Amino acid sequence: MRVPRLLFVTGKGGVGKTTVAVALGQHAAEHGHRTLIVETATDGRLAHLFGQHALGAAPRRLRPGLDAVRVDARELVEEYFSRLLRFQVLSKRLLASTAFNALTAAAPGITEFLLLEKLLGWIEPGLGRRPGYALIIVDGPATGHALKLLRTPRSLAAMVPGGPLGKAARRLLALLGDHKRTQVLLVSLPEEMSVRETIEAQQVLESDLALRVARPVMNRVFPRHFSAAEAQVIEQDGDLNGTPAPPLLAAARFAIAYRREAERHVGHLRRALRVSPIVLRQLFAPSVHAADLEAFGRTLGRAVLGDEAASGTSTSTIHEHDPRQ
Amino acid sequence: MAGIEGLLRKRLVVCVGAGGVGKTTTAAALALAGALHARRTAVITVDPALRLKDALGLDDLSMEPHAVAVNPSAHFDALALDTKRAFDALIERFAPSPAVSARILANRLYQELSNELAGSAEYMAMEKLHELLHLRRYQVLIVDTPPSAHARDLLTAPSRLTNLLASRAVGFLQTPAALLGEPTSTFSRVALSALLKVLQRWTGFDLLHDLSDFAGAFEHMIEGFQTRAKEVGRLLRAPSTAFVLVTTPEPHTIETAISFHRELVDGGFPVAGIVANRVVAFPRLDEHDSAAGKWDARLQAKLLRNYGELQALSRRDRRALRRVQAETGAPLLAAVPAVSAAPTSLAGLERFARLLVPM
Repeated sequence: MRVPRLLFVTGKGGVGKTTVAVALGQHAAEHGHRTLIVETATDGRLAHLFGQHALGAAPRRLRPGLDAVRVDARELVEEYFSRLLRFQVLSKRLLASTAFNALTAAAPGITEFLLLEKLLGWIEPGLGRRPGYALIIVDGPATGHALKLLRTPRSLAAMVPGGPLGKAARRLLALLGDHKRTQVLLVSLPEEMSVRETIEAQQVLESDLALRVARPVMNRVFPRHFSAAEAQVIEQDGDLNGTPAPPLLAAARFAIAYRREAERHVGHLRRALRVSPIVLRQLFAPSVHAADLEAFGRTLGRAVLGDEAASGTSTSTIHEHDPRQ
Repeated sequence: MAGIEGLLRKRLVVCVGAGGVGKTTTAAALALAGALHARRTAVITVDPALRLKDALGLDDLSMEPHAVAVNPSAHFDALALDTKRAFDALIERFAPSPAVSARILANRLYQELSNELAGSAEYMAMEKLHELLHLRRYQVLIVDTPPSAHARDLLTAPSRLTNLLASRAVGFLQTPAALLGEPTSTFSRVALSALLKVLQRWTGFDLLHDLSDFAGAFEHMIEGFQTRAKEVGRLLRAPSTAFVLVTTPEPHTIETAISFHRELVDGGFPVAGIVANRVVAFPRLDEHDSAAGKWDARLQAKLLRNYGELQALSRRDRRALRRVQAETGAPLLAAVPAVSAAPTSLAGLERFARLLVPM
């Protein structure tokens, strides 16, 4: 039996983490890997992509082989302390107290630990439960919080050597640190702040936390429509004597400038991390089409899941996937 | 899109919005526009992009206002907020003695709190604001804000920290049953001791000890914090204050803007309107425009396809801006056209400012 794998997707807010998680999850499911996507945000975007209502605390089937679930920090804390105190009335009063909330908010790592512990439950199902997932994709929080999350088992294992808590921490540490099983996928946009954050995050993840980081994703890269010669024609022509360029040329210049900027950032990322980013193209439709998700899934599947999910496609370095070129 | 000049007649302009929408650039550009309108203006930036920082001549030590000359006759002041250091400075300034300040700074819980837990970036933005407004040196103060998921994180930060310290969490250290908030039975106390055991496990972090230590050391300072938090709260609601919702036309930033607007209005904060950055706006082509130029058919086809794609983006953006206006009822103060890279020089910032505020 194949060991389940765990993939954390993170990046700055709005870089397309959910799209990446879903594209990859769908792709893996189609290739026979039972997959669970774990949503950590509360915006309901994930379910929305499948035309469903907001996800709940129990995994729900999105399509064959693909389940999704939402974890909510507040619910995790409530669940944990209710279980611990066993008496509903008491735990309700406790959970409603501001002092308690202040304490749990200030206690480093409680919610992070509970979230990871929850993942462990899906990865290592108990006796008599349905078989676990082959792949668990965490549609993670933004970079800063994700780093805190991934650091938790390490600090906890160091500080709490014994007891059930220490044991759980060490199990988590072993899982996260197993490079065959756990990977972190950083998603970036071709913008200065986003690229900088990605580089910093990769360094922390690899050097400080000894985690395996996949090739980063560069999302929303403008397609390269024009050859160098064409670009020259486009940029020389027009706006003589201060008259504005005709719209077709203005639009072409816009696209060329965006493409150049994106290439500059791809180059920056490649030089800093010594690895070529996985490039996903800018989409122009108002909503994400199924065909785009599939194309993203293929590109990501080859680069992140490697061999078996790619089913017969070559694994040469892909700089960009553009189904329309 | 009238009304953006009106911002420069306010005393305090607060830029809010999701991360990465250009809040810092917008705030800096508004300050530049203020300078060009001959207003004594300052901007407080939070975590500016490296090159914008360079353009403004800011470095990590620029916690104090520092003049940025737009031209020989116009300048504005800029400062950058390093929240961690600002918090430390605050403790040093208000602690009753150097010994107390040293105790607080060395406390692990303080370090956690000051880094992220109590929204210290937001808190510090508000503290700095209070300090600068108190100086009365500026006619207009523009404030960039840290990226927050919710407006309330930003605006309630000052009171949250003080609430935490003033709350029963502190009393709880002496009487654990105080956590339950009411007179308790023996039974409750027994159950509580189970909870305490759990918390003790977390006290591998010395949490309880740290908290007690922290609270003790902070006691003298709470009152001052509370007073300033109240004053800032009042200032933020004054008619001389304007909140600007900064957004891009992307779905998630638009949703953030909408929810910020709701929270601001509910909290009684004056919202002046919306600034949309990175708007793609290519109009429909007429026959003349789409006619073949002097280039070959192959290039013509590519040009048309490219135009079609950008038009699709333009439609998406137009729809998004209509939606944010309809949902909030707030006016669109400016729609700044998309350019491939954010301003990285003072000249670039001035171009941006002129797109933002007609001059």
